[in-house]
Amino acid sequence: MALSLQKGGNLSLSKADPSLSKILVGLGWDERTTDGSGFDLDASAFLLTANGKVRGDSDFIFYNQLKSTDGSVEHTGDNRTGQGEGDDESLKVDLTKVPAAIEKIAFTVTIHDAEARRQNFGQVANAFIRIVNDVSGAEIVRYDLAEDYSTETAMVFGELYRYNNEWKFRAVGQGYAGGLKAMCDQFGIQIG
Amino acid sequence: MSVTQLVAGANCPVPREKLSVEVLLSPTQVSGAEVDISAFALTASSKVRGDDDMVFYGQPRPGNGSVALLANSAGRAEFSVDLPNLLASTEKVAFTATIHENRANFGAFSSLQVTVKNAAGQAILQASLPSSGMVESALILGELYLRQGQWKFRAVGQGFAGGLKPLAEHFGVEISDPAPTAAPPAPPPPSPAKKPISLSKVTLDKTKPRVSLEKKTEGFGEIRINLNWNRGQAPAAKSGGLLGGLFGGGNKGVDLDVGCLYEQRDGTISAIQALGNRFGSLRSDPFIELKGDDRTGAISEGEWLHINGQQWHTFKRILVYAFIYEGAPNWAQTDGIVTIYVPNEAPVEIRLTEGGNSLGMCAVVLLENNNGALQVNREVRYFHGHQDMDQAYRWGLNWRAGSK
Repeated sequence: MALSLQKGGNLSLSKADPSLSKILVGLGWDERTTDGSGFDLDASAFLLTANGKVRGDSDFIFYNQLKSTDGSVEHTGDNRTGQGEGDDESLKVDLTKVPAAIEKIAFTVTIHDAEARRQNFGQVANAFIRIVNDVSGAEIVRYDLAEDYSTETAMVFGELYRYNNEWKFRAVGQGYAGGLKAMCDQFGIQIG
Repeated sequence: MSVTQLVAGANCPVPREKLSVEVLLSPTQVSGAEVDISAFALTASSKVRGDDDMVFYGQPRPGNGSVALLANSAGRAEFSVDLPNLLASTEKVAFTATIHENRANFGAFSSLQVTVKNAAGQAILQASLPSSGMVESALILGELYLRQGQWKFRAVGQGFAGGLKPLAEHFGVEISDPAPTAAPPAPPPPSPAKKPISLSKVTLDKTKPRVSLEKKTEGFGEIRINLNWNRGQAPAAKSGGLLGGLFGGGNKGVDLDVGCLYEQRDGTISAIQALGNRFGSLRSDPFIELKGDDRTGAISEGEWLHINGQQWHTFKRILVYAFIYEGAPNWAQTDGIVTIYVPNEAPVEIRLTEGGNSLGMCAVVLLENNNGALQVNREVRYFHGHQDMDQAYRWGLNWRAGSK
């Protein structure tokens, strides 16, 4: 049984699973059950330095840039992985390849075209993020975003971060208005 | 107390007490789009447990009455939700609006508004759901739900283009296809099995002014006739509370009374109405009873006239009327509606429209005993008062002015 975190909680991944080197970050949410435009949610990752910003555009891993130049973070694409647990999108992280300058990797989910479709996270049910050992397939930790959200259209689900030479995971659940653009602004990506 | 404004998707906590939930459509009426407002009591899996979890015109107060439809007129509905007395497994109560028979969609309205009031009658939150451009004809307006021990309300504003059926199925309600109300095949067996819940409703209008219910050997059970109406839109009076009490009297609503003329097979003619204290009796002759007189205004189910259907054979005809006891005749704003509930039959609904504003009396519906069958005729004819209505229907009573 994998550990489940509450909002703000954290876990040492190195301690929970000493063999961990490659992880899969699965993010999921329920499909829309009513009529109308579906919820097109996009998972992204931001590779951040100690000041909480990216070094450049190549540190932003999303649907139009699926892999970081160093190969440490890879988005598996818009397709469902279909690995039983119901991840809607997932990213793979090779912890051994993460550059030393990167202190933190934030995993975000944003609602595509949220404004035009009048959608927000208050309408998205059963959102979660989970960390899986990509070698063994074992789920290490999971965060169900049971906290209520409403008008947010962008959300940091969780983050991996370095702490005393180990990797930890924090359940963040921090929402923003303004969709992916707001998220990019937050992390220092210039949108053209 | 400030009123929290919610957009679709937003939520806020509510106190665990007896709340009232009011739904208002804007505009209140759109031609060709008759809106039904309902509530569904749901378990943690967002499904109903059974028919009693559905609160709508067909059963305004099912189960233990913890969720009840108190008022229902064109463009407005009010529910009471007694949170402490909900069944223990109820974790959500969803409020919905559906367009009858899927004849239009909510794009025809400009907005739908939900107001939640606390036990003291103060508005605590308000959700405005813009509906222009919507193609849905069934909407989940909002929901009260339990989250980690705290009751909350969420504005939803999502729904289905396919109307009530997909909405009901969304909540796990099994519904029968629209019942053929015109000609039931045969008299039902003496102890009929429980029918699946029927969502059909018969609306009598100019195009369909009559419906006939087949003769039943065991009679019709208790026939309940409800008159409800819109009590005026004065905000102070509606919000209740101290200010409502102090200033609510300034804008007087309309007091409508329901009554009936009846003619028995033995030739007896008389009337049942509050005026003159002729309340009748359900258990003994004349087997018609007026259930009190509501003049409170704010929260109300309107007025009820009950007819003992076991005694239907004793009646020749009954003319149900509504008259304005207090206030100026303004039938267009009064939005009067008469609903006839016969056990195991779809409710029959008649709207009081097209009224002349100088006429205070409306003959709404004529119930006729047609060889044992119950024939329901929409009348909606307006008169100055009892006298000229009586004459028009050749009843033959003597009328003089009275007061209650």
